[in-house]
Amino acid sequence: MTSTAPARRNFLRSPWVVPIAVTSAVAVSLLSQPLFASGDSNDLPDVTADQLVTQVLDAKPQAMSGTVVHTARLGLPDMLFTEATGADPISLLGGSSTMRVWTDGVDRSRVALLGTMSEYSVVNDGPEAWTYSSSNDEAVHYSFSDADLARLKTMGEQARVEATKKQAELPTPQEAATEALARVGEFSTVRVDSQSTVAGREVYQLIVTPTTDKTLVKRIVLSIDGETKIPLRVQTWSTQDDTAPAVEVSFTDVTFGMPSESVFGFTAPAGVTEREVVVPLPQNDGAVKGSGSAHEMPVVTGTGWGTVVEFKDLDVAALLAKDPSAMTGSGERIIGSEEAQKMLEEFVPEHSDGSGMDMGVLYDQLTTKVPEGRLLSTTLLSILVTNDGRVLVGAVPAETLRAMA
Amino acid sequence: MSHARGSFGRQLRSDLRLLFGRPRTIALLAGLAAVPLLLAIVLFVAQNSGMAGQGPGFIGRVTGNGLFLVIAALFLCLPFLLPLTVGITAGDAIAGEAQTGTLRYLLTLPSSRSRLLASKALASLAFAMAAVLLIAAVALASGGAFFGLTDMTLLSGSTVGLAEGMGRMFGVALYVALSLTGLVAVGLFFSTLTEVPVGAMAATTIVAVVSSVLDTLPQLAAIHPYLLTHHWFDFAEFLRVEVNWSVLGSGMLVQLGWVAIFLSLAWGRFTTADVTS
Repeated sequence: MTSTAPARRNFLRSPWVVPIAVTSAVAVSLLSQPLFASGDSNDLPDVTADQLVTQVLDAKPQAMSGTVVHTARLGLPDMLFTEATGADPISLLGGSSTMRVWTDGVDRSRVALLGTMSEYSVVNDGPEAWTYSSSNDEAVHYSFSDADLARLKTMGEQARVEATKKQAELPTPQEAATEALARVGEFSTVRVDSQSTVAGREVYQLIVTPTTDKTLVKRIVLSIDGETKIPLRVQTWSTQDDTAPAVEVSFTDVTFGMPSESVFGFTAPAGVTEREVVVPLPQNDGAVKGSGSAHEMPVVTGTGWGTVVEFKDLDVAALLAKDPSAMTGSGERIIGSEEAQKMLEEFVPEHSDGSGMDMGVLYDQLTTKVPEGRLLSTTLLSILVTNDGRVLVGAVPAETLRAMA
Repeated sequence: MSHARGSFGRQLRSDLRLLFGRPRTIALLAGLAAVPLLLAIVLFVAQNSGMAGQGPGFIGRVTGNGLFLVIAALFLCLPFLLPLTVGITAGDAIAGEAQTGTLRYLLTLPSSRSRLLASKALASLAFAMAAVLLIAAVALASGGAFFGLTDMTLLSGSTVGLAEGMGRMFGVALYVALSLTGLVAVGLFFSTLTEVPVGAMAATTIVAVVSSVLDTLPQLAAIHPYLLTHHWFDFAEFLRVEVNWSVLGSGMLVQLGWVAIFLSLAWGRFTTADVTS
């Protein structure tokens, strides 16, 4: 069959045609995937930027589930985060992390940060919240005191949802978008960009640009689902890097519809370490009751994106020793950008020994020594810890902080 | 191509007998089966010492629930031991016959080369399946014997009953077994290239190792989803509160792509090769 075959046989009749055809078919199906995933679309009705902002802010929250990929390019050394054992929120500071999100559109949700063989879950179930880390098998239960619960019952539904929202959280496109849009009128300009496709859905693209040049944030690009007006992707671009967004949080697949009931409930599994945290219910004026009174209120300089916050008498050593009380109650929602706020929160250890890393070593590796103290500089956020115990934080260039110190 | 259907069945039965009747194959399977057993003994002895509850993956959870031994054992075998043993059997499939000089006699049988290749492929696949299921079965038995089987706490913190836990463990074993199909095809292709089985065995194992090394390089992130080994550990999906089938599906799709390419390459090579020994 083969040894007698003529040396120059017709190639098209040779069996090698089959593997070549198969390989090409596999290659074609592989290459065509990204083309479908991210093409420009043009089928949505035209809207103005202002209309779109209003529609997004007024959009009725939807019951939905999906997969979210969070990618950070903050200029921090990658190795620090890949060394972390298992799924841990600190891994959000570098590289890509995958999260799975379920929400009923009201006050119950679950967000799970996925590790290869681990998971960090945040479950919000009405007035209660849980976090569970599979790496150290620890569950934390966040709840209100009885008095606060009673007060909660007297509130209207909207106020209740607001008040109970997120004792613990992982970043999702919705939250990033809400924060970005909150600053639209005063400190930013908005415009609508070409339509696109995210997670297989047609989206509007809204570009929020800070009006000041004092900030590290160049622009924020929000991709808004054309049908439901739910944000499906938020990209935060830094002035330091034109090639890729510094932080991107994006749905890669999304399903609108009520998720199965089983994901919203949480009962601490038998045998885990369980910790109770009683969360103070915000007063009507939004201030946090009780905790943090030992610290002076932080000094806020500047407005909008260029805001710099200065903490006095902050015990950095205690923070590094994972004493959460060193931070509680101060600095809630006051940093210039949402992403910067998120990062600050991630630097502050929320759970007793969740990271599996020595925060002191991490601190030394992340910060550099400058004449004013120690500096942490990323593409979106700068933190300066001065030699006399003050901490300056802002979404501004490091030089700004050093000049203020 | 007009041979009776029975001839392929005979061929396959003979190949399976040849493979599983070999002392070498029995030794490989015994070695793999020893992994969960050893692990169980080590954890049982150490469970009251200071080392209890430590270790990667699910090793720390095994002492509380024997079901986790299935995962821990597969987790330990998947990076190297399973690719190695699959490489040994698939790499030997054709090259072994060529080396011992039996290949040309096989080709004189009234059966086409395609059928011979298909039979060898199925036999190699059967070994991969048997290896994984054996590890899982021994792990379940020794986990149950040493630590008992109870309700299972998933990675998401939810707890499922024993029956569902067993079902999920079966899913894990099945996914891991099917994840090895791409490597079987690669091994079969290498096996058609050479008359030196050791070469094909080594090359197959190296492909798996190189693939996992490339998977760790962030610079190659663009090709990661298509690497042979990239989705191997996605079996963790069975341990989450809601199993995302599309993740498992894309893992299987990648294996299908590798199988299609390397099986057709093996076929192209084997049907055109000059068999002289």
